[in-house]
Amino acid sequence: MDACGLATRSQTVMRRGLSRRWRRGRLASVAELRNVIVFSIARSAGGGAARYALELRWVREVVSLGFITSVPTAPAAVSGVCNLHGTILPVLDISGLLGEECGPPARQGDGALVIELEGLVVALRIDQVDHVASLHETGGAVVDGAGRTLTLLDPAKLLRRATELVTAAGAGEPAPS
Amino acid sequence: MSEELDFDPEELAMLRELFRGEAQDALETVTTRVLAAGSQKPSTEVLTELMRVTHTLKGAAGTVGLNAMVDLAHRLESALAGIERDTVPWMETTADQIVEITDGMRGYLDQHDTPAAEPLVEGIRDQIDQIVRPNRRRDSIPPAFVEPPPEPVLEPTPEAPAPEPKQYLRVEPNRIDDLMSSAGELLFDRTRIERRVQLLRTLARDLARTRQTLHDSLGSTAPASVPSRANLVATENELAAQAALLSQTTAALLDEIEALRRTIGELQRGLTRIRMESARSLMTHAARTLRALRRATGIHVELRTLGEDTEFDKAVAEQLVDPITQLLRNAVAHGVEPAEERLAKGKPVNATITIRARQDGNLLVLEISDDGRGIDTAVLRERLVATGSWTQARAQLANDAEILDALLGTGVSSRGNADELAGRGIGIGIVRQTVSKLGGEVKVSSTPGRGTTFSLRLPLSTALAQAMLFKVGGQVYAIPNVHVVDTTLVEPHVTTTTVKSEALPVLRLEQLLGHGPSHERKPGVVVSFAGKSLVCTVDKLVGPREIIIKPLGPLLAPLTLYAGATISGSGKVQLILDPAQLVRRAYPDAPAQALSDTGSVPMVLAGRALVVDDSRAIREAMTSMLGREGWIVDVAEDGARALQMTRQMRYDLVVTDLEMPELGGFDLIARLRNDERFKSTPIVIITSRANPEHRRRARDLGVRALVAKPITRRKLLEALATR
Repeated sequence: MDACGLATRSQTVMRRGLSRRWRRGRLASVAELRNVIVFSIARSAGGGAARYALELRWVREVVSLGFITSVPTAPAAVSGVCNLHGTILPVLDISGLLGEECGPPARQGDGALVIELEGLVVALRIDQVDHVASLHETGGAVVDGAGRTLTLLDPAKLLRRATELVTAAGAGEPAPS
Repeated sequence: MSEELDFDPEELAMLRELFRGEAQDALETVTTRVLAAGSQKPSTEVLTELMRVTHTLKGAAGTVGLNAMVDLAHRLESALAGIERDTVPWMETTADQIVEITDGMRGYLDQHDTPAAEPLVEGIRDQIDQIVRPNRRRDSIPPAFVEPPPEPVLEPTPEAPAPEPKQYLRVEPNRIDDLMSSAGELLFDRTRIERRVQLLRTLARDLARTRQTLHDSLGSTAPASVPSRANLVATENELAAQAALLSQTTAALLDEIEALRRTIGELQRGLTRIRMESARSLMTHAARTLRALRRATGIHVELRTLGEDTEFDKAVAEQLVDPITQLLRNAVAHGVEPAEERLAKGKPVNATITIRARQDGNLLVLEISDDGRGIDTAVLRERLVATGSWTQARAQLANDAEILDALLGTGVSSRGNADELAGRGIGIGIVRQTVSKLGGEVKVSSTPGRGTTFSLRLPLSTALAQAMLFKVGGQVYAIPNVHVVDTTLVEPHVTTTTVKSEALPVLRLEQLLGHGPSHERKPGVVVSFAGKSLVCTVDKLVGPREIIIKPLGPLLAPLTLYAGATISGSGKVQLILDPAQLVRRAYPDAPAQALSDTGSVPMVLAGRALVVDDSRAIREAMTSMLGREGWIVDVAEDGARALQMTRQMRYDLVVTDLEMPELGGFDLIARLRNDERFKSTPIVIITSRANPEHRRRARDLGVRALVAKPITRRKLLEALATR
């Protein structure tokens, strides 16, 4: 919303560019403008931080987490649960969901993005919000102002992975009747 | 009483509850019909209907094991038959007597499991006898032109001693009725789903067999020949049929799960409605509190209330009484200025406190505002620093909202400190704690000179439960108290321990919950669920608490170890362990369900059966019994409906009652036999009136078996075995 004027202008430019390309009949890769939040997560191994982008429309809130209760039988990518405005929210580890080594366990006071998708509300633990911007997406990645390429996270895929992991962990327990 | 019944206790309770509703209706029918006839003898038609109703009642009562009811219904039916045949005289008082009898029977239904039931049944039996043999009594009373009112035969049932007043929930009866019907539905949904699962098991086995056949023919080294090709075609056909059945069953299962989801939804809504109360009582309470405060302080404060009709959970309402009293007290003691100060500021002399209730989505919002001096955030800031709670830098950086939040003690030190800071007397911390425990939030906003508003945001409904809290590995967990029978001490490294001379398995929660084994003696919580007990070792007992059960949410639902979670007073999430899962872990070899404990997959795919009976209790009982034998069961409430269904579907078995409204059992069978498709279909009659004439007709119609009600699993299996 804050980047609205910019977005509208560049969208117009984009569209013009697109239609030109359409006319020329070679639509190789379509770049679309996305309003994203860019954030980073500290890597547990090797140091440094991984930076990702996530479309703003999925983000309900950026919060500082309350007390995290660990859920012993949950997969490692579920850091625990916490109370957000009286609702119990799973706190997920993005690295774990992406199939990498999980980051440090979430702790009270850590930052998190609360995302809502298809009836699921979860908190994704993050270390730092870098900025919010309108960036061009090409093939699942965006390029930030400094020319660096960032992975644009697909929240549907992340939650699907989380569901798979939890279901697998649940199946490891004695099966319910 | 229920020695020969084939239902698990839960199922039986549900069937009985269902029967109760049905019986109430039946008895009501008798009452209205008899009353409509007045002192006249009812017509033969009416009497026949009444006999049919009592007859059905008898059969259903037998199925759910209420033998006294069977007896009473039988006697009443005979009396009615006598009246119809004029062997029992109809007198002016007879109608009243019948009404009394049906009332008595209704009373019995409510008390059949209490000691009062026995004398009640005796009384009703006597009353029926008096109708059948009126002379016995008439001799004793002198003839008079006015009939004396019927003697009250029913003794008032002795009151059970009530040592302490109990708390009751006043609920509109129709809300309960809705719940009962949803609960009944739930059982049927379950039965239907179990049936499909049975069928799926059978299918899985059939598929495995087909695969074996295929495997064998592929593996045979004989050169390809015409017969083996034919075999392959046959196998392919078989596979096609099985695949079709599989997709059909899956589709049906999905429908049934959808139905289950709906029922659960209804049940949830119903339960929520039952616990709802309007905000009015809270407002009344607030008005009383303010009057008391005025008497005590002399400060006159007007109360304005808005949104009294907002409904919310009774449990929440009860819990909110204290916080609201606290907030009112605070407002009067600290928020409202003295009269002269108000006058000087140009405010009305009398301060106003407004309580406003409203619903905001799934939240109940309760706002308590005063028009007093408001909270001076500058002062609060200073105090935060002065008491050492906050650093100078933090206090300077924080905005007003954050400073006000500190007043509630969120995230800072102890609540005592926060209260002291606020200079607002004790208790604001308690307000936050209570609301947080209820799963809500408190927000405070204030405009200096204009007033302060506390807004409590709470979930509309909550499920309050008693639970035992304990610590394992530094975290607090809970188990619902109804399943906690005792606490004990457990020696290290033992796998069983004796509690009240019973050896119980020990479940090491520290290991289950991902901590290393321990070598110390530990407190144990004795958990009992579904007749099985175990001892769970814990690090430290916290004690019983009232908790609000909240769902863990759809993502974590597959983790069956947890029944949900609760939020502590300080806002921490505490996991609730599911006692059923604990039992399952302590008894890994125990069968999970009655369904699977037979361990016997039905030997043949039984097929599709149609059960026809006008009693829903019997229909469902039969469905359940046949379902366990692997049948897919459809039901019809009378012959006409059954006939309709047979036009659309082939059945491999028809089980029917004889006496039903619309189209009776024999008529139904006769019509089915006229239909080419049902010429030789096995038919079983279930009846409580099997006389030789019935048997003859049944034989003529090619009925395989006549089964006397009450139906038991054994009888039914025998009847099916005659195939």
